[in-house]
Parts: sequence; C-alpha cells; structure tokens
Amino acid sequence: MPDRQPFIGPVIGGRGTESRDRAELAALDGAPLATIGLAPQLLAQAALNRVRASADGSVPPPELFATAGKLFATAELEGETPQEYRRRVVMATGTPAGAITRAIDGIGNSLGMVERLNRAELPAPFEVPGYSTHWVPRGSLLAAVVPNNHPEPNVTWVRSLSMGMSVLVRPGSKDPFTPRRLLAALLAAGLDPDKAAFLPGGHDMGEHLLAQTDLGLVYGGPAAAARYAGRGDVLVRGPGRSKALVGSGAAQDDGLLDDLVRWIADDGGVRCNNISLVLTSGPAEPLAEALAERLAALPVLPVLDERATLPATSRGNAEAMAEYLAELTAEAVDHSSARYGGSPVADPGDGTAVLRPVVVSVNRPDASPAGTELGFPFVVVAPWNQDDGTGPLRESLVVSLPDEHASLAPRVLREPSVRKVVTGRVKPWAGLPETPHDGSLAQFLLEPKGLVTAEAES
Amino acid sequence: MTELTNVPAQGGEPPKPTEYLRDILRWHFDPATGSPFWLARARTLDFDPLTDITDISDLRRFPDVSDDLRTVPVEDLVPAGLKGRSFEVFESGGTVGAPKRVVDSTARVRNIDWVSTVLAEHGFPERGHWLHVGPTGPHAVGRSVRRLAQLRDGMCFTLDFDPRWVKRLIGSGRTDLAAEYREYLLDQMELIVSTQNITVLFITPPVLEAVCARSGLYERLARSLKGILWAGTSISLETLHQIEETFFPDATVAAIYGNTMMGVAPQRPREEGDAHPCVFRPYVPQSIVELLDPQTGEPVAYGERGQVLVHQMSRDLFLPNLLERDTAIRVRPATGDDVDGLADIAPLRSADAPKVVEGVY
Repeated sequence: MPDRQPFIGPVIGGRGTESRDRAELAALDGAPLATIGLAPQLLAQAALNRVRASADGSVPPPELFATAGKLFATAELEGETPQEYRRRVVMATGTPAGAITRAIDGIGNSLGMVERLNRAELPAPFEVPGYSTHWVPRGSLLAAVVPNNHPEPNVTWVRSLSMGMSVLVRPGSKDPFTPRRLLAALLAAGLDPDKAAFLPGGHDMGEHLLAQTDLGLVYGGPAAAARYAGRGDVLVRGPGRSKALVGSGAAQDDGLLDDLVRWIADDGGVRCNNISLVLTSGPAEPLAEALAERLAALPVLPVLDERATLPATSRGNAEAMAEYLAELTAEAVDHSSARYGGSPVADPGDGTAVLRPVVVSVNRPDASPAGTELGFPFVVVAPWNQDDGTGPLRESLVVSLPDEHASLAPRVLREPSVRKVVTGRVKPWAGLPETPHDGSLAQFLLEPKGLVTAEAES
Repeated sequence: MTELTNVPAQGGEPPKPTEYLRDILRWHFDPATGSPFWLARARTLDFDPLTDITDISDLRRFPDVSDDLRTVPVEDLVPAGLKGRSFEVFESGGTVGAPKRVVDSTARVRNIDWVSTVLAEHGFPERGHWLHVGPTGPHAVGRSVRRLAQLRDGMCFTLDFDPRWVKRLIGSGRTDLAAEYREYLLDQMELIVSTQNITVLFITPPVLEAVCARSGLYERLARSLKGILWAGTSISLETLHQIEETFFPDATVAAIYGNTMMGVAPQRPREEGDAHPCVFRPYVPQSIVELLDPQTGEPVAYGERGQVLVHQMSRDLFLPNLLERDTAIRVRPATGDDVDGLADIAPLRSADAPKVVEGVY
C-alpha cells in the first residue's frame, strides 16, 4: 500500500521550504506520485546567497559520507523507506526496479570510499622540506544539474562536497527523489546544513545557478552538451554514445552475441555506457538480425518487477517515441519492428508502456541514425573496415573492443573524445575506483598550487 | 470647448457603462466628431452602431480591427471632434510582424492619474525619484511611468531599453546576447543608482531577478527603495513572496497589467480572503475587460480562467472587441466596487504534446 503522497520541496539550510510554486509529479501510469515544491530563480538566489556566505572550503570527514551511504541504502529518511524510494524512482523514471536496486547498493558503496575515489584521481602528493604542492578547489560553490535516467550520477555532487565544495543541486524533473534522499542522509550523518541546498525547478533556474556559481556540473543531452562545451567552468556529462567494434565472426559467436545483448540492454539501456552503436568488420545485416532476435526475447514485464530489464514510459510518450523512431530510422533497415507486429510499443499491463529493443542497420558508420542514443535499448549496426580507422569510434564514453580488434586499444585511447576503452568480454561499465569512468572529477574541481616556506632558503 | 465628459471627476461617481457606451458610439460614428478610420468602417458593418449596440456584450459584434492598426495612417485614427488637440502615437510590442499603432491625447493620461490614486491606496511613497527600467520610445509605458513619478513629486530616470531587440535575440536563439543585453541594462541602472537616491523602481520581473543576483546594485536598491512597481510578464507566487519578504521587505510592491490596446489596470489593494496576491482592476468604463471561454466565447464564471477580451473606449480612441493572447482568472469585485478583477495573467497556451528527448538524461 503506497503511503500518503509526499511533498518534496526545496531544502535550504538543512530545512524543507514551503515553496508556493507547486507541480504535480505523476507516475508513468498517470497516478499522482509526489507534489513538488519548486524553487523559482529568486528562491534559488536566496539559497545561493546563504550557501555562499558559509562556503569556507572545509572538508567533511570521510566517515560522514560512509554513514550517509549506509543511511541512504537502509534507513527511513524523511518518512521514506528504501523500498518506497525505489518504487517512486521506478514509477517516475521507468528505469527498471533491478537497476535501481543495484544503484542503491552502488551509491552506498561509492560513499563508503570517497577518499579512495578522490585519491585515485590525483597525482601522489609532492612534499620536500620547504616545498609542497597542494590541490585546492578552483572555487567554493558548485552547481550540479543532475539527471533522471539513473541515480548513480548523483555520487558526483556528493564527492564534490568531500573535496570541500559547497553544492547547489537541481534535480531532474522526474527524479527529485534521489538527490533529496542523499541530502537527507548526509544531513542525518552530520553534514553542515549550509554546505548544500536542494532546489527542484526549471531549466532557467539551473542555468542561473550555473551562471552564478564558481563551477558547474551538467548532465544533459546533445543540446546541453553543445551549449556548455566551451565553458571551462562547467563539466558536461553529455550523451554517452558508447560503441562496440566487433570482428567478422560476431554474428555466429553465440557467447559474444549474448554479451552484446547485455551491454546494450542491461539496466534497461538507460545507462550512458550502454552500447548504442555496434561496428563490425563483417556484414552488418546478419549481425543486426542476430542481435534483434536475441533482444526481442527480453520479456515485457511491469517495470516494478525485479526481473524486468526493459524500461517503461508513459503511454503518451511511447506513442511519441514510436513516431519519432519511424522518422529517425526511415533510411535504415529495421530488424526489430516486424518481430513486434510493427511497433516496439508494448503493454506490460500495469498502465505504463514498455519500449521493446530496436535494432537497425545502415551501410556506412557515419550514416544516420548512427550516433543516436535513446533511453531504451536502441542500437545501430554499421560496417567498419581497417581504412575507416578510429574515426567512427570517436565521441564515445566507452569503446568496447571485445574480439579481434582489441589491438586498436592504445590508438582508440589516444582519441580525445573517447573516454574509456574495454577489451575482451568485459562490460562497458566495468572498472575499479582507480580507473576513470569519464575523466577526473578531482582535476576539474581542484588545481595544484605551490607552497614554498622559509625552510626552502635555509 | 467643453471638458470631455467621459471621465469620472476626481472623487465623483464613474459613469454607468451603458450610458458611457452610448456617448462613445455617438461620438465615433457621427461624421462631425468621428475618425476617418471608423466612419469608413461604419459603411461595411452589417449593423448600425447607434441603434444596434446598446450593451457592452453587443460590442462583440464589431470586427477585431487590430490588424488594421499595423498599417492605417495615424491621422485617420484622430476623431474629427478633437482636431487641433495634440496627439501622440504609441506602438505595441511588435513581437509578431509590424507593431499596432494607437493614438492618444488625454485618455491614457487620465487612466494613469487614476492609477496613481490606486498606488496611494497601496501606500506607495508620495514623493521621491523613480527609476523606469522598462521600454520608452514608441511604448506607452514610458510616458505612463514618467507621469506617475511627476504626479508623485519625483523625477523619473529612464534607460535605453529596447524590448524588440531582446525579443529578436531570444527568438533567434541568441540567448547569450540577450543575457548580455540584460547585464547592459543593469550597468545603466548602476550608473544611476550609484549617485541618485531612487525611491521607486518600475521593472519587469526578469530584470528584477537579475538585479537580485548583482549584489552591489541589489544592496543599494534594497536600502533606498520604498516602492516597486512591476509589470510585463507574469510572476510566480513564490517569486512574488521572495520579492516582498526576502529581497525588498521595506518596499511596497504592486503591479500593473496592461498593454497598448487596453491601457493600464493596476493591482488593487489586497483584501482579507483574497485567493490571489495580485488582482488587477481595469479602468472602467474606458477600458473594459471580459474573460471568455475560448471554446464557447461566453464569459467564464468567477474563479475560472478565460481569454482576455478588451474594449478600449474613450473619445480619443475606440477599439472594441480585441481578443488578446493573454488569459486571466475572473475575480469577484472588491468590497464596495462593482468591477470584476483579473488575476494570474498567463499567456494563452495549447496543450503540450509529449516531447521526445534524445539521449539518456
């Protein structure tokens, strides 16, 4: 039995604020999910003034983050149990329940090792008598515009707190739950209430925060990425456009096909490191056909079912997406829709709509819609040959080289727009805290400064 | 020449709308007093304005002449009965194509004089300098605010403020330039505020928000301002609350709603039990506002949202049946008044279609 509909308003100075500006957040089945108190620009400005006034660069103790991570994953916070939190996120965003369950654990783990994560991103400290190098924040105030697709990107702003920043968080319109719960956990663990503010609101307010703070962090689509690409004070996490380059035998390699299906569709395909373009040195169409066949076997389940792998959306959005897809893939060969009776939109029977995987093939690696990333398992298969080189692999959060092209790894790593390379049968999101997922947060927030003391002259 | 009778004398009873209507129609459709614009159009009407229009609701039989106002030579708008008076021409925003032009001799001035008495009821300062952070040039609001300052014993500072340029920048996606223009306005404000004692500020909400983000300018104004008059765009409840309680707690804050066609409807003083913090009261009978259901064309009930229909009626200008792109909520008249209020002005919108978002975020 769901509890009373929650009110989620701005949190400023550690306290919930009764904003007079309200919006109703509906679940994907149309049921009311939460009343959101919105922060218009002036309320955000008031919060910003307050947070700036006490932004002193102090670093909370690492135990605080570990405690907060445990509370986030296990405690009732603001009257919300972890189970209720998960239900709300799933029903608001459509990200499958299993993915949210894993994200809750992932966030708890990350908060338990913020020191290790931060240390991994910085060179070993230099210090000899009289001379030392200090990594210090490039400012004191960070604006974080966080996404809806998955809870884990929220770890980034929490880590920023651990490096001495004060943070203003603007949540995505569908998932205010995760950052609010994280902030509640941090406050319960003892975070100084003026270190962070939580400000649900519109895009304009987010832009205002990014203009007013010293540094910014933005998760967004192609438009946001283009908009902030030239801003040295804003770290943009744009489309992932993750790719795999496979050999000519891939269409006959059952093991590889099963792996590719997971890399494309795990967590509902909503991760920025889910594969959305498969390049092959063999023929594209048989590989696309084999992938489409396997992906079509993924069951259509209510998204709250822990076994669900496909994401849900509202029926209205699903229809709009189907129309958009038809236009987007008009020039490509569609290997999936015929398997579903024409439309990838399916009814899981819970009032939502599920988008079934769509595989299309094209005859050149740069032909539209190659490079398009959508919030469900959508993949383009295209031919690649040696002469194409690493060009078609550019603009990728992850490039996977699972078989015969693994030797390209050093060259692909040197591509500035490729953020990570995996070889062999390894998930695109595999990694240790020490291996970068997308550059270095610490080296964005901090810069090295020299301190030379009287000892140097003695 | 006798003084025009279409105005309530100071403190006197305003004329009944129907009597007033009869007088206005006689004036504009009599060849001796009417304008070439209306006398020519009278021949194309399928009714007789003098006998068939007896009630305000009949005004909807007139065609909406807004588009003609984009091209008509302005002298054609001047009533023959007012030949020799000085007239001014004002233009609409000009967001979509050519601007609409209206003429005015004294009617809008009287509207503003009445607005000043309403501001007094709000407790606006009786003296002190004003700073007008809004359009001047072809836009009527510049003259209106200047007059408010003069009526209240102050001088009015103005800026170079070109809303059409800003709209062009935004319309063509050059939002960075639009933001730079806004900063340029603040620079102009700062040059005035740094040496002059400004008591009352006229401003639009987006520029006021930008002022609050520039700490030096904001702090100076927060100390000196006793009144803020805002207009131009709608404002959220929380934004208004923040202006009144957090950022300018020492200033009296009030708004005006209006445009080139309808004149100025000031916010009336708040009353116990008001459901809306800002209720606007038109200058009836010169400016009559009806709120209509866009589907049926019938007036909406109290508490409901309708599309704004304006009838602007003075001896200077007759503009009946102008359907605006705004909507408002119809509010019962305030105690002791018989004119409906307008609240929560918002642009007319069609239902939002679901939008496809590319990318996973």
